Amino acid sequence: MARMDRWMTGFARSLARRTSRRSVLAGIGTALVGGAAVPLLPVARGRAEPAPGDRVTPSGEPDPTTPAGDPQDCGYWRYCAVDGFLSSCCGGSHNACPPGTQMSPITWLGTCRNPADGKEYVISYNDCCGKDVCGSCICRRHEGDKPVYYTPKSNDIDWCMGTREIIYNSTVAVVVGVAREKG
Amino acid sequence: MGRRALAGLLLVGLAAAARADVPVESLGRVETLPLPPGPHWAWVGDPVFRHATLVDLSDGRTLGIVNAGFGMPTVLTPAARPEFYVVETHYSRGSRGERSDVLTIYGGRSLAAEAEVVLPPKRAHAANTAGMLALSDDDRFVAVFNLTPATSLSIVDVEARRFSAEIETPGCSLAYAAGPRRFVSLCMNGALMLVEVDDEGREARKTRSEPFFDPQLDPVTEKAARWEDRWLFASFESWIHPVDLSGAAPRFEERWSLVNDAERVDDWRIGGMQHLAVHEPTGRLYALMHRGGPDTHKQGGTEVWIYDLASRERLQRIELHGLGFSYLGVPLRAEGFTGWLIDKLADWTLGMAPDIAVDAIAVTQDAAPRLVTVGAVSGAVASYDALTGEFLGRAYVGNATNVTLSTPFARTGGWR
Repeated sequence: MARMDRWMTGFARSLARRTSRRSVLAGIGTALVGGAAVPLLPVARGRAEPAPGDRVTPSGEPDPTTPAGDPQDCGYWRYCAVDGFLSSCCGGSHNACPPGTQMSPITWLGTCRNPADGKEYVISYNDCCGKDVCGSCICRRHEGDKPVYYTPKSNDIDWCMGTREIIYNSTVAVVVGVAREKG
Repeated sequence: MGRRALAGLLLVGLAAAARADVPVESLGRVETLPLPPGPHWAWVGDPVFRHATLVDLSDGRTLGIVNAGFGMPTVLTPAARPEFYVVETHYSRGSRGERSDVLTIYGGRSLAAEAEVVLPPKRAHAANTAGMLALSDDDRFVAVFNLTPATSLSIVDVEARRFSAEIETPGCSLAYAAGPRRFVSLCMNGALMLVEVDDEGREARKTRSEPFFDPQLDPVTEKAARWEDRWLFASFESWIHPVDLSGAAPRFEERWSLVNDAERVDDWRIGGMQHLAVHEPTGRLYALMHRGGPDTHKQGGTEVWIYDLASRERLQRIELHGLGFSYLGVPLRAEGFTGWLIDKLADWTLGMAPDIAVDAIAVTQDAAPRLVTVGAVSGAVASYDALTGEFLGRAYVGNATNVTLSTPFARTGGWR
């Protein structure tokens, strides 16, 4: 039986290495707070313009004819640095918060590559706040994430600051510009 | 009276005794915790149920809970007084209304809220639980990390049970105890800020060190472990950065690697919510390890690797068992073959996906220490013999998810 144990464990772990995390039922509660990484500013403002210099606007989807992907799937390109619950599974969409919540004005920005056009886009990850944790579609991708003391790049932080309540519900991923280079 | 009649009487008497009523009991009894506390107690926090549960790992018994409000439930235990401290965030209407942040003082025997200290409503909330609050080594002051996103520490005098001061820590975050009246914070440039407080808990001195790591290349995580006067910080790439805080200025000791070259190539690395623990009496370090590429620094582990801190040699690798299955606190267990199969499924599935893994470890400080493991996907707490690695079993504590973990007497062995 010990051999079977080892075999099963080995099989399971090798499968794990080949299995995308989005296909996995994740534990609720792990990520009570939302987030994502690679910012431009110490405290980026959700509706503010990107940092001057290496970034240009305009915002929006890359091309109306481009397949949009599945915004309820953690693997969706613009979620590359999320740690939280996807607003699109919680009554909102990939760029709008669920009804009755408030979008955090303070957030941080990430840079994700859109496979449809190969461009890097600046993504603003804003938390949706004021209602309890959504619980659907936990998405934990930590590309470029840093610890809490590196505040502007930490997706562990509950960014429901500047809203009425710090209670975290879910997270959106809003395209705010094209990045010239990976941030 | 004949012998037969005597035997008959005896039988009747015995039967009557057997039928004696259950004694009448008194109403209104409430248990208290024993003094001295057990060596194998552990606090396990559940942000879904918004409480932390005290469990005795010697027998798996749940001893009680403390409520914690919104956020990650974390419990501090002083050595000097039989008390527990919990920092809580509440809203007047549950999830809305007026916010109040408080530090609640729970009786160490009663587990009842005995007092509270109102804090500025700006404490930081994060999925991370390490370094969010700290108790000074003299058990007098608690530092609570604030983020608005300006960074500061709220200092609470837990002896006098009053708020002392707010100390700004620009560019630096979190709090770790480092001396009787001193806290250290980690700064964005890879340095430390040392904050000393006076007898009133106000800022006495604030100094910044030189950077001791590069936060761009290989940041250290918040999940450090205390080893006497040192704090041990682990980096994303599994380097240990020991910081000696016995003197006025921190001394940064040479870093050392948890993994050898072959293991590094094989993608073994440290990860999880709380991935380091120290058993001070034997000078052993416990590290939660998994296989994964870059950006998996928060992925839970499948093994615990044990090191001798003096020689920095690895002593042992423990392949962890599964966390056990539960649903909203209800254990999924069975007798016989089905029970065996459920157990094995828990073992086999550990590490099968990034979120099915051990997220936090802790070690008790007694002579027969327990290694404790929890994970967000289960309400069970698993324990091991921390010296041999032998798996001792799981305790189901009624939690929906176990996210925070601490052994209350990590440095003291119990209330003095």
